[in-house]
Amino acid sequence: MQRIVIAAPLVLLGLVFTSLALNYAEPQSLRPLAESYVKLVPQELGAPNVITGILLTFRAFDTLGEVAVLFMVAASVGLVLGPAGSRSGVPPAEGREKPRPASDIVRSATQILVPLISIFAAYIIMNGHISAGGGFQGGAVIASGVLLLLLAHPEQRLDLQFLSITESLAGVLFVLVGVAGLFVAGGFLDNRVLPLGQFGAFFSAGAIPLLSVLLGIKVGCELSVILDRFRP
Amino acid sequence: MAELIGSILVLLGAVFHFSAGLGMLRMPDAYTRMQAGTKASTLGNALVLIGLACYHPGWTLKLLVLIYFVFMTNPVSSHALARAAHAIRIPMVQKADIDALRDAREQARGSA
Amino acid sequence: MSISGVVFATGLILILIGMWGALTHRNILRIIVALSLIGTGSHIVIVAIGYVRAGTAPIIDRALTMSDAPARAVDPIPSALVVTAIVIGLAVTAVMLAYAIRLYDAKKTLSIDAFTESKW
Repeated sequence: MQRIVIAAPLVLLGLVFTSLALNYAEPQSLRPLAESYVKLVPQELGAPNVITGILLTFRAFDTLGEVAVLFMVAASVGLVLGPAGSRSGVPPAEGREKPRPASDIVRSATQILVPLISIFAAYIIMNGHISAGGGFQGGAVIASGVLLLLLAHPEQRLDLQFLSITESLAGVLFVLVGVAGLFVAGGFLDNRVLPLGQFGAFFSAGAIPLLSVLLGIKVGCELSVILDRFRP
Repeated sequence: MAELIGSILVLLGAVFHFSAGLGMLRMPDAYTRMQAGTKASTLGNALVLIGLACYHPGWTLKLLVLIYFVFMTNPVSSHALARAAHAIRIPMVQKADIDALRDAREQARGSA
Repeated sequence: MSISGVVFATGLILILIGMWGALTHRNILRIIVALSLIGTGSHIVIVAIGYVRAGTAPIIDRALTMSDAPARAVDPIPSALVVTAIVIGLAVTAVMLAYAIRLYDAKKTLSIDAFTESKW
């Protein structure tokens, strides 16, 4: 009986998906909205990467909403789990057995890998407007570097106050740059508050590199705080 | 000619990846599964990237850096996973009677 | 059998496998992995829809000039949606894992058959 209950929705959904896959026709040309975005972003915003231009200027309000959702998730993980080390019922830093030290291989590999990961994250964030990259991707790579550090030194405590102050400052600066767009340029979070510069140069595309850096810092700090809650 | 060699290397890399997946399904024990997943898939990665270097000789330096990065991270992560699995006492399959880590830990605890 | 048709079908198959896994398994962690698989499958489906025949990435550089872009670029909007969707998927998986840890602390078992308070 239970197998029928499990199999029936799967079979029906499989039929729907099969009809979708069989009637799929590859589009021959861009749809009108996409074509206007591909034309407008290099001309008006001066950014070679069309996707970052969409995410940080034309649909920047959605990006602000995503940042708010990430913050809410970090708060709810903190609510469910409590501070690190408070779950076993024993008060921290007394009467609790020391965490198992990491092995030598992990520690020496961390010494080589964490600088590489940090440089790679900075490269991804700063190249958001020229080539593939951006704030969200770079923030996730920073958080993976922090995870490697936490694994190699299990008795190290993260400075949560510094991280939360940094994260809040980055969020406030993001909104302030957006409000500056209301007074100086076309609207909220318009990127023409800073000069557009030469197409494809490092400092170009107005406020998009600045917004990428702020977004990367905020996402990286938030994911690090989420990771720190999971420690025993 | 270089494209033929490149294609053969990429195909070989794909075969190794497939055998990694097959090994993860068929192995009896958590430790043997980790071994199958790491060794075969790391080698498959390296072969695919070398085959790609035969297609685009201008990218060789970047692909070598990638191969170095993969060789640094894959074995280290599976090492950390296997030690963690042993520490929470995941059972080993009975045919394997040698457990060097358990003997080393008992020796360390006995002499401490 | 176009390339984007194959990718589209793969994403749909992944969604079906994830759904089957979420309904069948009894261990909480395996259910979480299956739900994450549903998310990954839907990301693949969304990106596959935006492919244009013989198109390339919508980044203006040496390979794709500004005047050539509207004819040869791939749709940028699904990629922009998926970029944030991936990070949100990671955050939701973190919340699910936090709940799994709390449930284990309460009943000392990871099988969802032990949690029967919500059943009739």
